[in-house]
Amino acid sequence: MQKSSKEGYIFILPSLLTLVAIVIFPTLFLWYVSLTNYDLSMGWEQKSFVGLRNFSFLFFEDKDFWYSLRISLLFMGVTVSLEFVLGLGVALLFHRHLRGKRVWMSLLMLPMVITPTIISLIWKLMLNTEYGVLNFIISQLGLGKVNWLGVREVFWSLILVDVWEWMPFVALILYAGMQSLPQEPYEAAIVDGASPGQVFFYLTLPLLKPMIVIALLLRSIDALKMFDVVYGLTQGGPGNATELMSLHIYRLGFRHTNWIGRASANAVILLFLSTFLTTILLRVLRREQGRGV
Amino acid sequence: MPLARTRNIWKEVLITVLVIIVVVACVFPFFWMVLTSVKTRVQAINPSVWIFRPTLENYRAVFQKRDLFLYIKNSVIVVSVTTAISIFLGTLAAYGLARFRFPRKEDIAFWVLSLRMLPPMAVVIPFFLLGRFLGLLDTHILLAIVYLSFNIPFTIWMLRGFIEEIPLEIEEAALIDGCSRLSVLRRIVFPLTLPGIAATAIFCVIQSWNEFALAFFLTSFNARTVPTTVTFFLSVMGIIWGEMAAVGVVASVPVLLFAFIVQKYLVRGLTFGAIKS
Repeated sequence: MQKSSKEGYIFILPSLLTLVAIVIFPTLFLWYVSLTNYDLSMGWEQKSFVGLRNFSFLFFEDKDFWYSLRISLLFMGVTVSLEFVLGLGVALLFHRHLRGKRVWMSLLMLPMVITPTIISLIWKLMLNTEYGVLNFIISQLGLGKVNWLGVREVFWSLILVDVWEWMPFVALILYAGMQSLPQEPYEAAIVDGASPGQVFFYLTLPLLKPMIVIALLLRSIDALKMFDVVYGLTQGGPGNATELMSLHIYRLGFRHTNWIGRASANAVILLFLSTFLTTILLRVLRREQGRGV
Repeated sequence: MPLARTRNIWKEVLITVLVIIVVVACVFPFFWMVLTSVKTRVQAINPSVWIFRPTLENYRAVFQKRDLFLYIKNSVIVVSVTTAISIFLGTLAAYGLARFRFPRKEDIAFWVLSLRMLPPMAVVIPFFLLGRFLGLLDTHILLAIVYLSFNIPFTIWMLRGFIEEIPLEIEEAALIDGCSRLSVLRRIVFPLTLPGIAATAIFCVIQSWNEFALAFFLTSFNARTVPTTVTFFLSVMGIIWGEMAAVGVVASVPVLLFAFIVQKYLVRGLTFGAIKS
């Protein structure tokens, strides 16, 4: 059945042609536009070829570009670390006999399936300084109000929202991983008199490593391309306090200035960064599935 | 011995408390939105009101004043078209990858998967410009086609896993009996993987229903989908909190229902079949 045969191409061809038409062709077009000075206020024919000038604008003149790159990477680093630590904790918490576990676990998936823009609405309700329930609860505990969406706090509020949304995702993956671990090494460890801490650090963590790497890479890629929740909650503001890279592209290309050429150059950079992470992820997946490199 | 037992009880209590904290933290924001959606305008800006007589006024308002039906209708059209096409093309390709060996097969499969990760803001500019040249901006069909870019890779990877799980022998027997490849696919593979196909379709529905960035830039009025309703509530001044919450509840209910159906496959779906649990 698994005979080497060109017949397989016939089955995948329709999908491949579709993907080339709707992804590869537009991506090449994006590269082309990134080398022009096109902006939305001019006719398509009026644009001219400017070489790498859009890139040099971003690198040498646009301070906001560097700021957006910096906070994008910071956002990615902080959210992914927090989601990993908390997710691992939650996975360990659920990795035992618990009454009503199935119900609790299905409630856990709530944050990650709700529409992201609706999540920004939910948190707008929660984080409002005057009318928000978070400040109400804090003040009941005798603490002062926090200006959650203020210039200094907003970036961390965004991290709070992302961790709320995606910590359960990491927890579920690691939990699934723990459930599928082999029993024998654990029995051997108990016979050898290993402490729970030793078992965790020398057995569970190494065995879980592939799951951890996959979960964290998936989260990193998602965090890097983040747009919807931030747009709904802050639109990159106040000022450019939460202007992650996707929001910087939006501002360059579609808001106030209509510099499509420059926005495209920034989009090419984002594409490059996400492709870099994706390549690592795919390499890991490929090794894990034993499908040859 | 009694000491060990009390220690065990304290451990049990601690674990129960931690589980409750985690679950409440996950559910509370959603609960708060539901609660706000049935508050009056005055109650909604007072976070100390927890018990009150609920009103459906906000729901009436979002359907009448904001024409939420139009958004729902647009979402339903876009989501069904893109899901149907993805399942059709994806099943064919998944069968090809699961059952044949050919040169560079895995390279192709992983290249397809990489497309699933594309940042929406990186591809939206060419989609926008091409849509404008073709006069397709603000149409359902443009959005449905653009969504294929993440739905096709997803269906291929999910379904490949499901097809590889069914034993080869049945198909082989049918082939020997003279069935053509296509009729094997239709009469044997399709019925046997139907639960997997249904789960995959539901994931396509969820991720297409939730998509915002592309919908936001490629539509303006006629084809606006549900996630773009967030733009009603961008400015902080003058937001009617109850209506905002009502929109949120209406948008979430279908997703939650669908997610509940496929929860068994959730980890598998969120990792495109990479992790099977």
